[in-house]
Amino acid sequence: MGRRTVTRAEAEDFLYREAMLLDEWRLDEWLALFEEGGRMEVTTTDWNGWDSSSAGAFMCDDHDLLKARVKRLKSRKAHAENPHSRTHRMISNVIILEQGDETVWVAANFIIHRYRDNQAFSYVGRYEHVLLVDDGLRFRLRRSIPTMETMAPGARLSFIL
Amino acid sequence: MTQLTHTDPGGTPNRSLVHEDWDALTFKVHRSAYRSPALFQQETSRIWGHTWLYLGHETEIPNPGDFKSRTLGGRPLIFCRDSSGKIQVFFNACTHRGTILCRHNEGNTKFFQCFYHAWAFSNSGELAALPGDEAYADVPGFKERHRLRSVPRVDSHEGFVFISFDPDVPDLLTHLGEAAHYMSLTAKIGPQGMQTVPGVQLYSVKGNWKLAVENAMDGYHFAPTHNTFVGYLRETGFAVTDDDQYAYDLGDGHGLLILTGHNGRIGMVWEPRFGPEEKERIAAKRQEMEQRLGKELAAEVADASRILFVFPNLLLFDLEALTIRQIEPVEAGRTDVRAWQFVETGEPDEVRALRIKTMVSFVGPGGLATPDDIEAYEAVQRGIEATADSADPAWDWSDMSRGMANEKQGNQGRSIDEGAMRSFWRQWSRRVEGDGTPGA
Repeated sequence: MGRRTVTRAEAEDFLYREAMLLDEWRLDEWLALFEEGGRMEVTTTDWNGWDSSSAGAFMCDDHDLLKARVKRLKSRKAHAENPHSRTHRMISNVIILEQGDETVWVAANFIIHRYRDNQAFSYVGRYEHVLLVDDGLRFRLRRSIPTMETMAPGARLSFIL
Repeated sequence: MTQLTHTDPGGTPNRSLVHEDWDALTFKVHRSAYRSPALFQQETSRIWGHTWLYLGHETEIPNPGDFKSRTLGGRPLIFCRDSSGKIQVFFNACTHRGTILCRHNEGNTKFFQCFYHAWAFSNSGELAALPGDEAYADVPGFKERHRLRSVPRVDSHEGFVFISFDPDVPDLLTHLGEAAHYMSLTAKIGPQGMQTVPGVQLYSVKGNWKLAVENAMDGYHFAPTHNTFVGYLRETGFAVTDDDQYAYDLGDGHGLLILTGHNGRIGMVWEPRFGPEEKERIAAKRQEMEQRLGKELAAEVADASRILFVFPNLLLFDLEALTIRQIEPVEAGRTDVRAWQFVETGEPDEVRALRIKTMVSFVGPGGLATPDDIEAYEAVQRGIEATADSADPAWDWSDMSRGMANEKQGNQGRSIDEGAMRSFWRQWSRRVEGDGTPGA
């Protein structure tokens, strides 16, 4: 594999493409952005840097659960997302925090607007991802950290944050 | 058994919103009970103002000086452990002019100081510093009269701390009744006890609080609502069944579902998704539990899952793992929810990780199941607008009669019937529509 330098532009391209896949509900293609064994976390709003395995979380998916989540969201029986929410993701403030031999640690800000049932919800937060660097980039750990103090009324996490 | 046999709900000012008819075997709840702002005010006063409410768990504030600020029944409170180690619950308002005294969600402190005029209170409530006190007459007396206001009643059972805003309520164990036993069962799971961990799920649903209670006491919805979750479990090699699962009326509105074979239980009942190491650990843990508790009690603690509702605001999910869920009504169509993972103290790191991953995958607004429950509460809340003041008043009632024929024959109600919801609504009616006295 060998170490190569990941530029901010490459990280941005990766995150923008991911946002597009999610907004278009292309979930199989989205799942392919993870390495085998890749995980996903959404921390609670009282998160204070602790390890997800020792504290509560909103989402704490290993790869099997991630696959199950995608399968569920593709089903018409995922009632909370049937019909699908419309989402519109804005990603900014992308920073390469640290580059290691195999992985790069990327942070970004997000605002996700979600619309359903004639209601609008905004989810504001930060990503802190660990990405595997090979020919391209793939998620080893995809972590979303909500900035809000609580999930607002109706603002459930039935979709991918 | 209370029989409410009013037949003209629309007519009189004292109409009952809960109709129970054991001849026709019907049980109906008027949909205004979920919609009406006036009724919401009545609930706030008659239920939240006059009964024990679940506040939090002692392990949330393990050390002297630890505190959490928390709103309960719409009232901002400070839940803290004073420097001597005693649990204290104060109204979170400066006794001077009513300013929110503690504006942090959590922390550790010896003193709560109001930023407005710098009055400072010790964590046991004394007014410790009164800047410019020479301008007050009888300073010692003034300070004593202006100590922090404590919630009138505070008591705990198995570490679960309850409060009452009404000083004249029966003692906590009387209120809990049979529910106390099931809280005790849960507390016996870990050899070193049980505790909450950080990482609290704070969210809010656009639905009436009673819909959240009904949903938790309603096994009938599980298969259709959680179709995708059941499918996921099947793929992991586990077949969910509704057989041998029962609902219990624990009195005074408390309810219980006992679910055997519904799911695995970490440390107690194995399921393929827990992995082979956990299978071995479960066998060893059962030996430990039998030595500590005796064979019979160990089996009662371990073998079945339980969903316990303690009227009016505590849900204790003792399923694959454990979650404490607190319900805080905000308005008729909005409910705040707080959920804590409840874990064995001192368990191995890998078990803690398995527990959290497994529980979060099911329960919570980001799980594979709870979002569909939330969809249900919110869809009901939107749907019941359709029949408000409808052409035929009979359309504006929700039906909860499932299983009444079985119940009338004296059989134990099944979890997939609606008996636990009926016992909740009976208590609700006694509280809100009756004279408000407990158990009236």
